[in-house]
Amino acid sequence: MTQLVIDRLSAAYGATPVLQDVDLTVERGEIVSVIGPSGSGKSTLLRVLVGLLLPVAGTVTVAGHKVDYRSRRDLRAVRDRIAIVFQQYNLFQNMTALRNVTIAPTVVKRRAPAEVTAEAETLLAKVGLADKTKSYPDQLSGGQQQRVAIARALALKPEVLLLDEVTSALDPELVGEVLDTIRLLAREGMTMLIVSHEMGFVREVADRVLFMADGRVVEVGRPKQIFDEPQAARTRDFVSRILRH
Amino acid sequence: MAYTLQFGQVTPYLWYMAGGAWIALQLAGIAFLFGWAIGLVFAAVSEYGRGPLRWAVRGYVIFILNTPLLVQIFFIYFALPDVGILLGSYEAVAIGMALNASAYLTEIQRAGFRSLRRQELDAAETIGFSRVQTIRYVVLPHIVKVLFPPLSNQYIILTMTTSIAAIFGVEELTGRAYNINAETFRSLEIFSIAALYYVVLTFVASTVLYWIGHYFFRVQGKVF
Ligand SMILES: Nc1ncnc2c1ncn2[C@@H]1O[C@H](COP(=O)(O)OP(=O)(O)O)[C@@H](O)[C@H]1O
Ligand SMILES: [Mg+2]
Repeated sequence: MTQLVIDRLSAAYGATPVLQDVDLTVERGEIVSVIGPSGSGKSTLLRVLVGLLLPVAGTVTVAGHKVDYRSRRDLRAVRDRIAIVFQQYNLFQNMTALRNVTIAPTVVKRRAPAEVTAEAETLLAKVGLADKTKSYPDQLSGGQQQRVAIARALALKPEVLLLDEVTSALDPELVGEVLDTIRLLAREGMTMLIVSHEMGFVREVADRVLFMADGRVVEVGRPKQIFDEPQAARTRDFVSRILRH
Repeated sequence: MAYTLQFGQVTPYLWYMAGGAWIALQLAGIAFLFGWAIGLVFAAVSEYGRGPLRWAVRGYVIFILNTPLLVQIFFIYFALPDVGILLGSYEAVAIGMALNASAYLTEIQRAGFRSLRRQELDAAETIGFSRVQTIRYVVLPHIVKVLFPPLSNQYIILTMTTSIAAIFGVEELTGRAYNINAETFRSLEIFSIAALYYVVLTFVASTVLYWIGHYFFRVQGKVF
């Protein structure tokens, strides 16, 4: 079943075009990795999908429903189905780990606090933070904060999870624990769009890889194809540069 | 150095001086509350406003910050009657201090607006918070936490500034100490006690503010 269809999507910051005619179809349970040089529009693509930036052209269809990003109702519906985790964790600094996870279900969804708390504790245990529920973000390492952010995103039971370079801001020794959490979600069949520079990880978990440059999709294919037999010169260039590191 | 301390002579006045401390506390409280409220609005205008309104606010703030408080109160007390506005000395001092504080509190609170983390706002938006929910759960707690220490300091400063009211004949702590001194000439005792009262006022305020900040807003820091 098709989960997400992005059709000739374009976006701009002011007069500067940043995304141009991006096409992508994601099946339910599929993991698509988005790679590309810095500034190629990867974050912008994710930001448009969750309604942080209005597209200038093109359409996004989520679970068969075409999204009108100008409609409050559609925005709410889209944010129910699509959750995002950012590079800089973006946790609410004034709330404990547990509160960060429970706030949206209780305040936005108005669900019963007891039930939400139980679920949140399960989620935090799942990302390996059962003993950190009462800690504030500034008492947690970057890797722990990022795992709380993932738990917070999952608390809304999204159909699609967007991950924007979630390990890029972490010290190298903390990257593994966050990738393990993502692997766990992959095994559970979560549909994900993962922007990452961890090429080994991308090759391992992604069903498909999308290579972007200058706001355009250059090439889409199986990881093996993109990394081992890239068709476009730009992909070849990027892949050889990044794999040498 | 033949001075013998005779606190016995001033003990009858201790309660009278405590009454002065109470007036000082009131003046500081009034100046702070009004200064804070005006400052909050002016800070928002300074950061997000534009056009003549913003220029008016900026002009006001810069003017106040660059003139002495004493001159400002003299102006209110002695010059305004010329245009028909007559104020008692207590009112003139309270208004002068509040206006003066509002300029400082504008600048302090601007910093609070500026320190908002764009990323937390993005997160709030994507998990579906409404604008009001974002302000209530993300913006305000953050601003309060950031601003708590400088606002506390400003309150302490205002407590001590209230002594300026003595010049206008307001019988607050300094004014009353001055009166007793004129009667008894036990200057050393009287002004030591007055200083002690100020220390108590500021120490109690600092401690109370510290615990409020610590327990409600997770402000890190020390009392002194
Ligand atoms: N808030 C913004 N305002 C203006 N330009 C921006 C903004 N954010 C990103 N850009 C520009 O948009 C382009 C794409 O950025 P981004 O999507 O963040 O790329 P990536 O995530 O692939 O590194 C870049 O050229 C960047 O400079
Ligand atoms: Mg990016």
